[in-house]
Amino acid sequence: MLNVQKLNDPDLDIIDTPVIEENTLDTAITQSWSKIAPFWPLKNLIAVNPLSGFEDLPFEDALKQGQAFFQQDALPKPMQDVNRESIKWLQAYFDNGQSTISMPGRSKGLFSSILMLLPFDKSVNKNNVQWLKNLPDAPQAIIAECLLHLGISKDHHTDFLTLMLTTLPGWAGHVQYRVNWADTQDQNNEHPVTHDDFLALRLILTCLVWPEAKELLQWHQDALENADITDVVSDIEQHEHKYRAVLLDRLSHPKKVVIEQADAQLVFCIDVRSEPFRRAIEAQGAYETLGFAGFFGVPVSIENEISGESYHSCPVLLKPAHHIKESPVCGHDACQSGHDRQQGLKRLYQSLKYNFTTTFALVETLGPLSGLWMGMRSIAPDFANKIKDKATALINPSFDVQTSIESIPFEDQCSFAGGALKMMGLTDNFAPLVIFCGHGSTTQNNAYASSLDCGACGGRHGAPNARILAGILNEPQVREALKKDGIDIPASTYFMAAEHNTTTDAVEIFDNDMPRIHDKALENLKADLHDACAQNTLWRCGELGTKPSNASQHAALRSKDWAQVRAEWGLARNAAFIIGPRRMTKDIDLEGRAFLHSYEWEKDADGSALTTILTAPMVVAQWINSQYLFSTLDNVAYGGGSKITKNITGKLGIMQGNASDLMNGLPLQSVYSSDEQAYHQPTRLMTIVHAPRDVIERIVREQDILQKLFGNGWVTLVCFDPELKQRFVLERDLSWAKVQLNKL
Amino acid sequence: MSAEFITSLFHIDALSLIMMGLVGFVAIAVGAFASRYLVGDSQYRNFFVLLTCMAASVFVMVSANNIALFLGAWLASNALLVRLIIYKSNWQAAKQSGILAAKTFGFGFVCLGAALGLLAFSSGQTTVQGLLSANYAPTTLGIALSLILIAAMTQSALWPFHKWLTSSLNSPTPVSAIMHAGLVNGGGFLLTKFALLYFAMPEMLTLIFILGLITAFLGTLWKLMQSDIKRMLACSTMGQMGFMIAQCGMGLFPAAVAHLCWHGLFKAYLFLASGGAAQEKRLDLQYPPSIKAFALSLLCGLAGAAGFMLISGKALFAGDTTLILIAIAFIAGAQFAMPLLKDAALKMFPFAFIATALMGTLYGFSVHMLEAALAPLNVMQPHAKTITAHKNQYQY
Repeated sequence: MLNVQKLNDPDLDIIDTPVIEENTLDTAITQSWSKIAPFWPLKNLIAVNPLSGFEDLPFEDALKQGQAFFQQDALPKPMQDVNRESIKWLQAYFDNGQSTISMPGRSKGLFSSILMLLPFDKSVNKNNVQWLKNLPDAPQAIIAECLLHLGISKDHHTDFLTLMLTTLPGWAGHVQYRVNWADTQDQNNEHPVTHDDFLALRLILTCLVWPEAKELLQWHQDALENADITDVVSDIEQHEHKYRAVLLDRLSHPKKVVIEQADAQLVFCIDVRSEPFRRAIEAQGAYETLGFAGFFGVPVSIENEISGESYHSCPVLLKPAHHIKESPVCGHDACQSGHDRQQGLKRLYQSLKYNFTTTFALVETLGPLSGLWMGMRSIAPDFANKIKDKATALINPSFDVQTSIESIPFEDQCSFAGGALKMMGLTDNFAPLVIFCGHGSTTQNNAYASSLDCGACGGRHGAPNARILAGILNEPQVREALKKDGIDIPASTYFMAAEHNTTTDAVEIFDNDMPRIHDKALENLKADLHDACAQNTLWRCGELGTKPSNASQHAALRSKDWAQVRAEWGLARNAAFIIGPRRMTKDIDLEGRAFLHSYEWEKDADGSALTTILTAPMVVAQWINSQYLFSTLDNVAYGGGSKITKNITGKLGIMQGNASDLMNGLPLQSVYSSDEQAYHQPTRLMTIVHAPRDVIERIVREQDILQKLFGNGWVTLVCFDPELKQRFVLERDLSWAKVQLNKL
Repeated sequence: MSAEFITSLFHIDALSLIMMGLVGFVAIAVGAFASRYLVGDSQYRNFFVLLTCMAASVFVMVSANNIALFLGAWLASNALLVRLIIYKSNWQAAKQSGILAAKTFGFGFVCLGAALGLLAFSSGQTTVQGLLSANYAPTTLGIALSLILIAAMTQSALWPFHKWLTSSLNSPTPVSAIMHAGLVNGGGFLLTKFALLYFAMPEMLTLIFILGLITAFLGTLWKLMQSDIKRMLACSTMGQMGFMIAQCGMGLFPAAVAHLCWHGLFKAYLFLASGGAAQEKRLDLQYPPSIKAFALSLLCGLAGAAGFMLISGKALFAGDTTLILIAIAFIAGAQFAMPLLKDAALKMFPFAFIATALMGTLYGFSVHMLEAALAPLNVMQPHAKTITAHKNQYQY
């Protein structure tokens, strides 16, 4: 992972430094970076625990460390100067298409390109040009040299390097993303970065600006000694007690019921926003709903043939196994020319805007129009949207797309299909229509838009994956193969994809190729989805603090309003992860606070499905839960701050105001209903599993990640044992205790 | 107080009406935006009070005739702007932004006060209109106009007084929007208001032109180098302010006011829309174009310039400052045609030619619309038709 540079590099001989043992420094660097949680760019804001570097500590200790490292109000002033200089360079270096004239020499790498320009920066180098010129070339050698220069003793290397990162956590998080988690596009980014590069840059700037930076160690020591988390912990525990006692009181062991065939089965993402909508559609008729990770078990990357854009559409824990092409259903040429027309107009605008001469004429020509448009969007957003839709339809009409599954080999198709059905427990009793319902959001003027999309699809919309799984399951050969596997899908059953818009609660069903025999059923389903939308938006509008006469219309308007900072609540208030059959939760109003994963323990004899659920979707849910938790606890240190003063830098992240460190979390408006009033309730995740205790115990024993999360109190595990008909909670020492409602 | 006294305090003309229209419209649009954007903010009510007061004080300022009232309104509106820039007063950085702006505005205000005091003292007038029609000793006038110029430069963030504007982004987005469409234009407004005096000192106009040009260049260059959206917009405003002041320096005050209005609306819109900056992808503009496309786009540029001239009634005189505007229309036209011609230059030429001519016309129209309203200020250039363009048509 680390770009190890040899310290016996010939260049090093220029300066007279005692050689620091390579291994120790290497370890110190690795250890310092292990404290830094990655932070994704705006294009796909994946939820992450800002304290993920401290998850191997008990929750309380991690909070304490977090407070000392990240939550300090007062940073020594000279260190703030170092940060100011760092931000200046990092902003310019990582810019992803904002500036027209970008920083020169970026292809050389973060540290080399900046080192090349630094001698010209009068604000820092003053008398140090010679020192700068004499620095060795290799980043790691520079780190060693700088640590020496600052007088940091060997014992403190790790601590000091960690502080170099944690005093600028936003950018450090971005670098962590780039180094360890980058998607294909960012891996091939023209301006590369390594862990060593970033540390070397921070250290050089520190040497230049604050040669006495050694004091930082004492500052941190004091912060650690003064850290006090008692109030925070008791606040969290109070919320947890209240929520968990009620939930567990209402949840009981599912009864065996006579299974009646449903008119349709709808599979939704485990996302907490699915739960109230599932309840709403179930109330409309004979519908059965299931919960499954929204990428539907097909780890792919998607490429749009028209726009040429491609992205990973799977959880970031996975690498895409196949590359899928998406093409328009209608004529390719018509869609292509519409797209080209739109791009042409954009290109025209940009060519006039970003140069020296024409910007003046451009504003004078467009001034009247933009004034009018601004007025309309602000005063009559509904009307403005109608006009916008008409204009878009004229220039670049939207088109339905189809997804080709040809690039997935037959064996993989079968394993994806079988794996998904088994894991969600849908292996028999198929309804005539089975709908895989992905989800996505629609918001305007929203830098955080992707944080509302499907996390299981890597922060994108879920329709393509739903389309792929439905396509695979409609293949006769695949069904033939599944039959051998014990999954007998009747010929009369048809699989379809859909997408649930979480902002408007509209569900779009992709029914281009559907056999006409299902027409009637589909018609009914669409009408029922419409009613479910009305029911769910009514509840959601209440949560958003409004009581409109027409809730679905109001929700639709919010999704198109450019001034709206709370188009929807996203996953706020998430608190539980329930793994079990829908029968267990069906008649309970879970208030949109629970992730629901369908699971039938009897169909999972070896526990392999449960292992996957606990180590993949549940881990993702824990990331989401922690992001909301910490963004609520301290929206400045762990969140994004208020949207009203945000400033997007480099098209990749948020700063506050003129310039700041990257803000790494959810904005205030995503978790607070006002500056003072939190909407999200800070609780840790409680996972409830309907499976025998022994099976769970075996899985936990095998999986380090689960021992870490359960053993350190990041997640509380509750077992509904179907055989013993008893409920147990897993204690921190990984022993089982009976559930007592007053002790959760 | 008699009604007569009150009316004597104000002087409503085309300029004040245009400024009121601009600020009133932007305040309403930004207010409507903020009514949803700021929901839940602890300063919600405060914002609307300040916004209303600021708009009101700008209304008074642009229509005031009494010197004391004018200065008072100038000070009040700037003070309210400073308060809005600070907005979150617990945030140190925001507070510093406000202090920087306050210092700059304060300096500008002192200059403006001194200038108007000097003019009033030497002419015995108490109204702005009175000041404009009085006669002054050249030194007095020179000093006063220099001071007014400095006040204009501080207000419109001209180099070297630009720092307050590029450091003002700690304020909430709606504040930036109203600021960039409102008080930052104060410099252009001020120079236009005293245009009649500046015409008496052509060398002063040359200085204004040069100062404007420097800022237009710097602002535009910096804009192209910024990596965050809001600072890019701020630098862009700086460049546009430079252009506006340069227009004043060319004696094209009506054009400057037109620029001020249209830029204000454009920039206010871009600020409000800045939340979507990450989704706006920069496209490859495929430079350089082929020689054929380049040549043809120059032809289209001519069409654009012709359309611009036609509608705005500008004549083509070498040496006349309007020539610069026409040259700008020409360059803009050529630049506009270039992307249209990039793939199939010959095939697209007729379309690009007509489109450019139309755009030139539209450009001329939007400029002309406001210029016409400010016609009396066109003192330096007689109407095109009143000029003997062909010597032999002269009759005695």
